[in-house]
Amino acid sequence: MSITVIKPGLQTTVQAGPRIGWRHMGVPANGAADPLSLALANKLVGNAWNAAALEATLVGPTLRFDSDCAIAMAGARAAITLNGSEQAQHETLFAKAGDELVVATAQAGARIYIALAGGLVADEILESTSTNLQAGFGGHEGRALQVGDSLEVACCEVELLQTPDEFRLPMSSSWGLRACMAGESDLLDETSLQTLFDTNWIIDRRADRMGLRLDGPALTVSSDGRMPSAAVMPGTIQCPEDGVPYLLSVDAGTVGGYPRIAQVARLDRHVLGQLRPGDHVRLLLREPDEAVGELRAKLAYWREWLPDIEATIL
Amino acid sequence: MLTRCGDDLFSIAVASPGQAQALALQLREAGAWPEVIPGIDTVLVRFNAARHDAHDVRKEIDAVLAQGIPELQESAGLLEIPVVYGGEYGPDLDTLCSATGLSAAALIELHTRRVYTVDMIGFTPGFAFIGGLDECFRVPRRKEPRQRVAAGSVGIADGRTGLYAMASPGGWNIIGRTPHQLFDATAEDPFVLRAGMQVRFKAIDAGEFGQ
Repeated sequence: MSITVIKPGLQTTVQAGPRIGWRHMGVPANGAADPLSLALANKLVGNAWNAAALEATLVGPTLRFDSDCAIAMAGARAAITLNGSEQAQHETLFAKAGDELVVATAQAGARIYIALAGGLVADEILESTSTNLQAGFGGHEGRALQVGDSLEVACCEVELLQTPDEFRLPMSSSWGLRACMAGESDLLDETSLQTLFDTNWIIDRRADRMGLRLDGPALTVSSDGRMPSAAVMPGTIQCPEDGVPYLLSVDAGTVGGYPRIAQVARLDRHVLGQLRPGDHVRLLLREPDEAVGELRAKLAYWREWLPDIEATIL
Repeated sequence: MLTRCGDDLFSIAVASPGQAQALALQLREAGAWPEVIPGIDTVLVRFNAARHDAHDVRKEIDAVLAQGIPELQESAGLLEIPVVYGGEYGPDLDTLCSATGLSAAALIELHTRRVYTVDMIGFTPGFAFIGGLDECFRVPRRKEPRQRVAAGSVGIADGRTGLYAMASPGGWNIIGRTPHQLFDATAEDPFVLRAGMQVRFKAIDAGEFGQ
């Protein structure tokens, strides 16, 4: 069973769960930039939350099915057609051999997840099948999909499912990210610290799986802007020499030499994958234990629909 | 010494890269953490905040710290890394010459004379931070980072040699390139270099590149 790529979209990659425990060897998490939406899509086709699926960026792909296959989509809001007839996200769709799926441009959010029953068959490297675009490994030949690519799907029979309304992740153009002070927050002067948490930041057009620049007032750090390289994580906000905060995402380098001025809390890191150029972002300051309390409440809420939620937003 | 730097992160300050690596090993033996990531003078520990209270994590880390941090044992073997210096493989060698007032031959001689220790792996898969450079190599990174630095490139910045295991953007001053493959995703062990390893650079002719 396979699918053929008619149009690849802007940047469509095979993504599954993250690579965990390899950062000390320079290997980032990779995996779905919005793992919660990946889990929601996989759930509808009976897959494990982290089965390999397609992650489409802003402009979706056109795919042809070479045999019958159940699929489902979640994540960024986008129009979908199967052989020209409109279809809905958040429910299982049954494609027949020869059918063509067209995923249009996302209207809100940045990444659409297309899960296929049984999951995609992909290269497993360092304990994950996710694509590492920078190093060129995992997923489908370590790269984004191209016209004519053929992807193998494990395929299995599934029941029709719909995501209950209360578990459809809302997409927006204006987001709040709960964040804590980080290792070098104290290098910001008082005004800059206030600015960091009071500004309605705008996502710069240079936004990708590595990170996002936050446009707004320039910040001032009270050092020459460099420090000995130290570990960074998805959700770490660095302040480089130009004073423009840089929010690291799932493919970012594992260490950095710029002051780490804030850290997005674990419960909101999945949102990083849905921020698109032009979106507004506010950082909501939390004490670390306050953010843990909110994390545990969020996990308790989601566990009803996604039993593996704890691994999903790790 | 121990700082909370996120809802699920602790940072530990240490005195040296060797201590950072040794402490990271001790921490991994003491507990099941999703990530323990050594830096140059820090170790970052990520814990599972869904189940693990920060208060208990702090106690567990303190217990490890109470044992004292040994220096990392340097590995016995010595890896020789052939490098073509200068020219198209090392476009910043001339910059380094003007910054130091030394000739290219003198810089190459200095760079190849010592045995170095790999301080840390990080940034991109297999990228090696190598310490122990002669003081005269203490130059800052380039003001304008390059969009693409070739795999195998040997860079200098902030008193360290950086080895690019793969092509990536980068701001180090590139003085040469090794034909050795330093990361191979398809190999059973994709990494050639590890923290604590001993390396020495050996100058080779451009004609030997790719042989």
